[in-house]
Amino acid sequence: MNKIAYSAFIAFLASIGTLVSVQALSSDEADDSSEARDITLDELAEHASAESCWKAIHGGVYDITDYIPDHPTEEEVILEWCGRESSEAWDNKRPGRPHSPAAERQLEDYRIGRLVDDQGEPLERAEAAEPPSQAEDQPMEQEAADTAPSPAEDLRLHRAMLGQPMDGHYRGVFTDRGEIQVNITFDLRDGHLTEVNFRHLAYRGVDYLTLEEDEDLYPVMVQHRRITEWLEGEPLTSIFALYEPERVVEEVDGFSGATLRGAKVISAMRDGLNRGVYSWP
Amino acid sequence: MPLRLYRGDLLLIAVLLLPLAIAAPRLGGPPGEAAALLGWVGRVGGILGLAMLLVTAALSIRLPGFDRWFGGLDRLWWLHRLLGFGAFILIMLHVLALGLARVPAGLEVAVLTLFPPLSQLALWSGWLAWLAMVIFLAPTFQFFGRLDYQRWKRLHLLSAAALLLALGHALPLAGETWPWWLLGALGMAAMVWRKLLSPSLARHPYRVESVAPLARGVVEIALRPEGRGLRYRPGQFVYLTPLDESLTAGRGEEHPYTIASAPDDPLLRLGIKDLGDASHALQTVSVGSRAMLEGPYGDFFAVDYAQRDALWLGGGIGITPFVSAARGMAAEDEGRHAQLFYLANGPDRAYYLDELTRCAEDVERLTVTAHFYREQGPLSEAFLRHHCPDYVDREIYLCGPPGMISHLRDLLAAQGVPALRIHCEVFDFL
Repeated sequence: MNKIAYSAFIAFLASIGTLVSVQALSSDEADDSSEARDITLDELAEHASAESCWKAIHGGVYDITDYIPDHPTEEEVILEWCGRESSEAWDNKRPGRPHSPAAERQLEDYRIGRLVDDQGEPLERAEAAEPPSQAEDQPMEQEAADTAPSPAEDLRLHRAMLGQPMDGHYRGVFTDRGEIQVNITFDLRDGHLTEVNFRHLAYRGVDYLTLEEDEDLYPVMVQHRRITEWLEGEPLTSIFALYEPERVVEEVDGFSGATLRGAKVISAMRDGLNRGVYSWP
Repeated sequence: MPLRLYRGDLLLIAVLLLPLAIAAPRLGGPPGEAAALLGWVGRVGGILGLAMLLVTAALSIRLPGFDRWFGGLDRLWWLHRLLGFGAFILIMLHVLALGLARVPAGLEVAVLTLFPPLSQLALWSGWLAWLAMVIFLAPTFQFFGRLDYQRWKRLHLLSAAALLLALGHALPLAGETWPWWLLGALGMAAMVWRKLLSPSLARHPYRVESVAPLARGVVEIALRPEGRGLRYRPGQFVYLTPLDESLTAGRGEEHPYTIASAPDDPLLRLGIKDLGDASHALQTVSVGSRAMLEGPYGDFFAVDYAQRDALWLGGGIGITPFVSAARGMAAEDEGRHAQLFYLANGPDRAYYLDELTRCAEDVERLTVTAHFYREQGPLSEAFLRHHCPDYVDREIYLCGPPGMISHLRDLLAAQGVPALRIHCEVFDFL
């Protein structure tokens, strides 16, 4: 009994020790490879073919050229994202459904570096993201056509359960001093903004949407149109960039001196989100 | 230990399996998938391991009479040791299996499962319990050699900490807590009784009436009870705590000694051989000094053994239970026959032999045969058969040093004597 107890004790220590040290060693390796290289968007773009396919996913850059033949879907689907920031495609294997943790581990084997901007600063996904392709959207429409999706499949339900706004058509307003100043309408598709338009834009009795080109306040209206153009295709979270409108719209002087602010647009859009889906797309 | 099931064993199994039975509907059967199976093994191992740990603690109670439910105190200690061993193994299996079960989710997850942030007190309490177990079990299982008995005993007190830490681990994490409260209370109650209450409540005061030397290094100490004496049966033993201030060692320490007197003797007599510091000091214990006795324990001549004629094989200080039985036979009118073989090195070491021979002359159903190793070598089958032709059909009782016991067991097994008919007092237990 003594020998067994001692052997079991030593075996236990050895097993735990092995587990801990293997973990420590393997995480070191992962760190090494992730810090291997800094890769810019320009360099990334050079590898946009089946001969050399690099993809940036959540700040990491992966050379998946060797993996393309093994990927379960058709080659075009995976090739389409070569040379680009592909977090969007990664997170939406099917709309709203990311790749599996197993795939994530597999992906790590192909890591060659991290994505950086021109200054060498790491780039996160939001800054480099591109709008989702139409090809990826189609399955979602098919799914929406299903009459009674199961709770495991229902993306609307998933978004609602996570407290995320559902896809749909939204309308919201910003009022101040008894006056409607901003009335904005937009669509959410897969968490991204489309069809962003002002239905009303006014301040102190001036209706900006009816201004002629030669009127003094006309540039302010143009700047607001730029806001809606800029928002097009962006993830919903990008509206908060409007807290600093100079990031979004050039010729800020005229804008900042004007009577309408980015904050009002944010407020109107959040009003729309609070009201919920106005109509289904 | 031969596999004989005592009534206490059934109780033990029931209590051991209670937490598992309560958790069974939640756990379900073993799943087929490897990681899920490991998780299941980890949980079952944890539940069974903790149950064993708590029951092991409960078994340390050493209540006179209670040990007979388990076939005597030596067997109870064996169970205590076996269950403690089982708990130690299962608890490590529990940790390892639960850790490995998370490996598919990543090594980092597995390691984090076993070593979470310090804020997860319940989990770290489990680790501390294990550490405490390692510390107090290392000398028990002699990982790094042996420890002096008294120091070992003090270190073993760490088991109370292990118990509380293990409960601190299980109660916040367990699905069902009441079985753990129950078993935890049993374990703690046993320890409180044993370490805090029994020294003052369970010990009986005696005075040393006489110290008679029997041979070199062997004395018989006769003790007179100050109050009502212990009631005992032949073959039982007591824990003796001498309080004589002139003792060079072992004063205030308790050690087990077998009773040599007949149950109707107004004095309680102990045959004590010089085997260690404490028993060495007792050879010269002062007459008139005080000693505390706790017991009686053991169930050597258990009444529920088959009442066929008996074969007694005693050697060394292991002769004492037979001395008690032989002395007691004079008072009983009838009963089964007994033949005692006294296995001694030589006539000079055959203490009690004269008295035993006299007993055999007085009592018709007792026969005594002496066998001297120095003259005749190890006891042979021919010698046994010559003096006791029907020995294979008798109920056989062995008591003596380990070498003698193993020789006799081999001899008897070779003659086809069933193990269940051989009863043995193990003399090297604590």
